[in-house]
Amino acid sequence: MDMELIYLAIPLASLFGAIMAGFFGKAIGRSGAHTVTIAGVATSFILSLMAYNHIVLEAGDIYNQTVYTWMVSDGLRFEIGFLIDQLTVMMLCVVTGVSLMVHLYTIGYMHDDPGYQRFFSYISLFTFAMLMLVMSNNFLQLFFGWEAVGLVSYLLIGFWYKRETAIYANLKAFLVNRVGDFGFILGIAAVVMYAGSLDYKEVFSAAPQIANQTINLVGDEQWSVMTVICILLFVGAMGKSAQFPLHVWLPDSMEGPTPISALIHAATMVTAGIFMVARMSPLFEFSETALAFVMIAGAITALFMGLIGIVQNDIKRVVAYSTLSQLGYMTVALGVSAYSAGVFHLMTHAFFKALLFLAAGSVIIAMHHEQDMRKMGGLRKYMPITWITSLIGSLALIGFPGFSGFFSKDSIILAVGESHLPGADIVYLMVLAGVFVTAFYSFRMYFLVFHGEERMDQHTKEHLHETPWVVTVPLVVLAFFSVVIGWVTIEPMLFGEYFKDVIFVKESHNVLSQVGEHYHGQWAMIQHGIASWPFALAMAGVGTAWYIYMKNPQIAVTASQKFSFIYKMLDKKYWMDELYVKVFSDGSRGLGKGFWKGGDVAIIDGLIINGSAKLVGWFASVVRHMQTGMLYHYAFAMIIGLVGLLYLFASPVS
Amino acid sequence: MMTLEMLNLSIAMPEMFLLALACTVLVVDVYLKDSQRNVTYMLSQLGLIITLILISQQTPQNNEWTRELAFNGLFVNDLLATVLKYAVVLLVAIVFVYSRRYLQDRNIFKGEFYVLGLFGLLGMMVMISANHFLSMYLGLELLSLSLYAMVAFDRENPNAAEAAMKYFVLGAIASGMLLYGMSMVYGMTGSLNIVEVAVALDQMEGDNIVLIFGLVFMVIGISFKLGAVPFHMWIPDVYHGSPTTVTSYIATAPKVAGFAMVIRLLAESMGSFQADWQGMMIILAVLSMAVGNVIAIAQTNLKRLLAYSTISHVGFIMLGLLAGNQEGYSAAMFYTLTYTLMSLGGFGIIILLTRKGFEADNINDLKGLNQRSPWFAFIMLIVVFSMAGVPPTVGFWAKLAVLKAVVNIDMLWLALVAVFFSIIGIFYYLRIIKLMYFDDAEDKSEINCTRDMQIALSANGLSVLMLGLYPAALMSICIAAFS
Amino acid sequence: MTFFEVVFYAFSTLMVVAALGVVSARNPVHSVLFLVLTFFAGSAIWLLLEAEFLAITLVLVYVGAVMVLFLFVVMMLDINITRMREGLMRYAPFGIAIAILLIVQMIMVVGPENFGLQAFAAPELHGADYSNTKELGRVLYTDYVYAFELASVILLVAIVAAITLTMRRRPNTRHQIPGEQMKVMKQDRLRIVNMKSETIDSEDK
Repeated sequence: MDMELIYLAIPLASLFGAIMAGFFGKAIGRSGAHTVTIAGVATSFILSLMAYNHIVLEAGDIYNQTVYTWMVSDGLRFEIGFLIDQLTVMMLCVVTGVSLMVHLYTIGYMHDDPGYQRFFSYISLFTFAMLMLVMSNNFLQLFFGWEAVGLVSYLLIGFWYKRETAIYANLKAFLVNRVGDFGFILGIAAVVMYAGSLDYKEVFSAAPQIANQTINLVGDEQWSVMTVICILLFVGAMGKSAQFPLHVWLPDSMEGPTPISALIHAATMVTAGIFMVARMSPLFEFSETALAFVMIAGAITALFMGLIGIVQNDIKRVVAYSTLSQLGYMTVALGVSAYSAGVFHLMTHAFFKALLFLAAGSVIIAMHHEQDMRKMGGLRKYMPITWITSLIGSLALIGFPGFSGFFSKDSIILAVGESHLPGADIVYLMVLAGVFVTAFYSFRMYFLVFHGEERMDQHTKEHLHETPWVVTVPLVVLAFFSVVIGWVTIEPMLFGEYFKDVIFVKESHNVLSQVGEHYHGQWAMIQHGIASWPFALAMAGVGTAWYIYMKNPQIAVTASQKFSFIYKMLDKKYWMDELYVKVFSDGSRGLGKGFWKGGDVAIIDGLIINGSAKLVGWFASVVRHMQTGMLYHYAFAMIIGLVGLLYLFASPVS
Repeated sequence: MMTLEMLNLSIAMPEMFLLALACTVLVVDVYLKDSQRNVTYMLSQLGLIITLILISQQTPQNNEWTRELAFNGLFVNDLLATVLKYAVVLLVAIVFVYSRRYLQDRNIFKGEFYVLGLFGLLGMMVMISANHFLSMYLGLELLSLSLYAMVAFDRENPNAAEAAMKYFVLGAIASGMLLYGMSMVYGMTGSLNIVEVAVALDQMEGDNIVLIFGLVFMVIGISFKLGAVPFHMWIPDVYHGSPTTVTSYIATAPKVAGFAMVIRLLAESMGSFQADWQGMMIILAVLSMAVGNVIAIAQTNLKRLLAYSTISHVGFIMLGLLAGNQEGYSAAMFYTLTYTLMSLGGFGIIILLTRKGFEADNINDLKGLNQRSPWFAFIMLIVVFSMAGVPPTVGFWAKLAVLKAVVNIDMLWLALVAVFFSIIGIFYYLRIIKLMYFDDAEDKSEINCTRDMQIALSANGLSVLMLGLYPAALMSICIAAFS
Repeated sequence: MTFFEVVFYAFSTLMVVAALGVVSARNPVHSVLFLVLTFFAGSAIWLLLEAEFLAITLVLVYVGAVMVLFLFVVMMLDINITRMREGLMRYAPFGIAIAILLIVQMIMVVGPENFGLQAFAAPELHGADYSNTKELGRVLYTDYVYAFELASVILLVAIVAAITLTMRRRPNTRHQIPGEQMKVMKQDRLRIVNMKSETIDSEDK
C-alpha cells in the first residue's frame, strides 16, 4: 500500500469520526457516536503502527512532502505537508494509542452524560488536531495544530458549560494560552523574517546563517537572532506545556471530565510544547542562552509545582500538579540538550500519567464523583484492579527502578549532571529534590486513597465496587505499558541511532553520549540506580508519606500549623493566581475600562464613528441629489467628465 | 484569392454555435404556445452547456497558449479569452436559472428574454475575442442593443421603459465617444487592428496630443460600460428600473466583457500610453470608490444599493488595471470574476424573495431573513461579507490582490484611499446583515422557490466561500492569462 | 482657392450651420428637416473623398428612409416644446460654456498642426476606371467578413428588439372581429323598451 495514503488517512480517520459524531450525533445516536469515533481512532492507531513499522522496523524512507499548497504569497509558500520520521511515528503511536484507550474508557465514564456525542466528537477532533501538529512539516500547519488543540482543550475544559467553575477554568486556560501563543506566533514570524520560509527543512538548513545575525530590539543592545527566535518559540511551549509562569491554567483544567484530563492535560496536548522544542532542536542548539532559559524554567516548574502537590486534597489536582512537575523534568531535559531523554520521558509519562488519571477517574466513578481524598481510604479492598494499577502507576511516576519512569527520569537527572550550561549545578540539585517531592505526594495520595481507615459516608460505602470493564481494561493495558515501555525502548531511543537524523545536538552539548558511556544495559542501570541518590530520595519520600499519613497522621496537622506560612503559600500556589487576577486581569480590565470610557465612548464612538457616520450620511444625502433622474443631467455629467479629462490629459498647453 | 481555411474558423466555434443557437431559439420560440415556454428555456440552457463544452475544447494541444487569430485578424483566441468566455457563459446560464420563476410570476416568461440574452452573450464573447477595434465596437453594440431591449422588456412597467430610454441615450453617447476615440487612433496609426496599432504606437516618438485626445474618448467609452464615476449615472436607474432578472444579467457578465475591453483596447493596443490612461484611471477609480460607497449608505432600495456597490467595486477593479503590469491585470481579472459571482448571488437572493406582485427590492424586505430561511440568510451573509472584503470570503483576496498591485507600483496613498472608502462601505454591508439577523421579519411568508434555483443559489454562495478558502487555483489561472 | 476647396468649405459650413439648427430649432419638425440637410451636406463631402457609394447610400437610406420615418414619428407625437424648453433654458448658459470649452479643446487638438498636409499627405486620386463600390464590396466580403456578419446580427437583434417592444397584445385593447360582426342579429343588439312618455310638467316639480 502506498505510504502516502496511509499518512493522509491517519489524521483524516479521526477527523471523519469527529465530523460524524459532531454533526450527525442525533442521527447516529449514542452507540453510533462511540462506534464511529472509536473506529476512526482505531484506524488511526493501526495506521500509525503501520507507519511505525515502515519507518522504524523496516527502516523505510523518511517522508517529507507537501500535500497541498494553500497559497503562495511573495514566494512564501503556505502549505499542508507531512514530515514522517522517527520522532513523528513515535508521537503518532503515543497519541493514537492513548487516545484510543481514552475513547474506550469514556464509554464507561460518560455513560449518563447528556453531551455524550458531543464529547466523542471533541476528543476525536482533538486527536485529529494533535496528529496534524505532530505530522506537520512546516510552521503553518504546526501553528494550526497548536491552535486547534488549544481550541478543543478550551471546549473540553468547559464541557460542563453550566458549571461556573468550568467556565472560569476554560476561560483561564484560553487566556493563559493566548499569552503563550502570542510568543509562539512572534517566533514564527521571526523565523519567516530571517529564514524566508515556513518549511522546517529550509529553516533548519538556514539555521547556521541565522545564528550569526543579531537584532536590535530595545535600545542599543544587540541580541542574537537565534536566541530571540528560540525564546519566543519556547514562550509558546510554556503556554501549552504549562511551564512556570504560564502553568496556572493546568490545575484548573481538571474541571473537565476526567478522560479529557487524561488525554489532553496529561498525555498529549501538554506534551506539544516538549515535542515542538525537540523538533526545533536544530534551532535551539544554536543558542545557549535560550537553552539555559528553557532549563531553568523547567527546573522551577519541576520542583515548585511538585511542592504544591503535597498540600492538595483533590485527587485529580494532585495528579495535575504531578503532571506539571513531570513536564518540568522534560523541559529540563530539553534545556540540557538531552532532547531524546525529554521525548523519552514524554512517552513513558504519557502512559503512566494517563494510567494515574484514569485510575483516579475510576476511583471518582466508584465514589460517585467525590474527588476529595480526605473522604476516601481503604479502597484497595473494594477496587483491586484500580488499586494494583494505581500502585504501578505511582511506582512508575516516582521512578522505582525497573519501571518505565525510572529509565526516563534517571536519564534526565544523569544528563543534567553532565551538563555544562550556566546554572546546571543548581538545576541538578533542584531535580534531585524534585524526586523526593514526587515520591512524597504520589504516595501520600496512594495511601490516602487506598489504605488506612475508610472515611467515606455509609451510603457511598455500600455502593463501592470495581468499575466496569471499559474502565478497567484501559487501566490494565496502560499499566502494562507503564511497566515495560521504558525497559524496551531506552536503548534505541536514548543511546541508539533512533533519533540520529531527527534531533540535532551540537557536539559540545551532547550530554547523552556522556551518559551513554556509563550505560551497560538495563540491568546494569537498575543496579546502579538502586545505589544512587535518586532512588534513596524516592524511598525517603515514600517512607515519609507512609509515616505521616499512615503511621502518625497527627504530624501532618501539626506541621501545617507550625509552618503555617509555608502551608499557606503552597495552598495558595505561591499566590500566582491572585497575582495574575490582581495585576493582569484587573489591570487590563481597568485599562480597558479607561479606554472604553475615554477612547471608545468619547472619541471613537462619539467623534469618529457617530461623527463620521453623521458626516458621511449628510454627505450621502447631499450627493444623492446629483442622481436627479433627469436624462440630460446624466449626459451633462458625462460631458463634464469628458471636458475634465481632456483638460487634464489632452491639453496642448500643459 | 481568399479561401475558407484562411479564416481559421475552428477557433471561433463557440461563437458560431452560439449564433446558430440564438437563431434556432428565436425560430423555435415562434411556434411555441405560451404554456410551452419551458422548451425555450431548456433549449437555451442546453445550448449554453454545449457552448461551454466547445469553449473548453479550445485548449491547445501542447498546453502552450498562443494568440491564435481568425477572420483575417479580427478575432483572437488566447487563454484570457477562453477563461473570460467560460465565465460569461456560466454567468448567463445561472442568470437564466434564476430568472425562470421570476418571469413566470410576472407573465413575461417570453422567448425574447432568452433570445436577447443569448445575442447579448454573443456580443460579449465577440468583445472578449476582439483583436480589432471594429469587432470590439460591433460586439459592444450587439451587447448594448440586446441590453436596451431587455431592460424595456417588461412593457407593463413604466420604470423599465424610462430606464431603458436613459440607458439607450446615454449608451449611444458613450459609444459615439468610443468610436470617435477609435477614429482618432486610426487617423494617427492608419490601422484598426489592435496588434498593428500597438506596433505603430511603439514606433512613434514623443507625446502625441491627438492620440491622447483619442485615448480620453476611448477611456470614457470603456468607463461608461464599466460604470465608473462620472459615467455611472445610468447604473442606479437601470438597475432599479429593470426587471430584477435583467438587472442580474446586466450586473454580471457585461462587467467581464468590460474588463476584456480594457485589456484589449488599453493594455494591448494603447500599452505605450499606459502612463496617460493610468492617470485617468486613478481619477476615475478614486471617484468611483468615493461616490459608490458614500451614496450607497443613503439608499433604501436594495437594487440601487447594489448598483452603488457595483460602482465602488468598479473603482477597485480599476485599481488593479491601472497598475498596468501582469500583477495588476491578473488581480483585476480575479476581482472581476469573483465580483460578478458575488453580485450574481446578491441579485439571486433578491429574486428568491420576490413573488407574484412583490418585488422585494427594499432593504427592509430582508428583515429577519434568518428566521424565514437560515440557509439563504447565510448565503447572503457570505455574499455580503465578500462584497465588504471580509476574510475568509473571496472578496478579501480580491481586494488584497488589487491593493498589493497598487502598492507595488509605489502608490501607497491610492491603496490607503481605497481602504478608507472600503471601510465606509462596510457600513451599509453590515446594515444588510443587521437586518437579516437582528431584526424581526415583517413579512413572514414562506419563501417559494424552485429546486434548481435553490441549488444554483446555494452553489453560487458557497463558491464565494470556497474560492475564499482556496483562492490559489483561480489566482494562478488569472496570472497565467497574462504571462 | 480651387474648385475643390470651394465645394468643401461651402458644404462644411452648410453642415455645421444645419447641425446647429437641429439642436436649436424650436419646432421638432424643423429639427428633423435640418438633420436632413446635415446628412445631405455630409454626403456631398463624402463625394469629394471619392466615396460615391457611401454618399449615395447616405442620401438614399438616411435621407430617403430614416428621416422620413422620423418626420412621421415627430408629427404623430404631440411634443410639448415649452415644457422641454424650461429646463433647457435654465441650464443653457452653463451648457454653452461647456460646449465652448469642448470646442476650444477640440480645435486645439484637431487643428492643422496635427492633421495638416505636412502631417498627412493628401490621399491619392484615383482614375475614372476606379470603382469605389467594387472596392468596398471586395473589402467587406473578404477582409471584414466578420465585421459584416456581426453587423447583420446587430440588425437582426434590432428587429427582434423592435418587435418585442412594440408588438403588444394588451388585454383591454379593442379591436374588430369582422366574422362575429357579420353574424350579429337584430335581437342581439336591440332591445325595445316600453316607456311612458313624460310631460314637461313633471319636470318642473
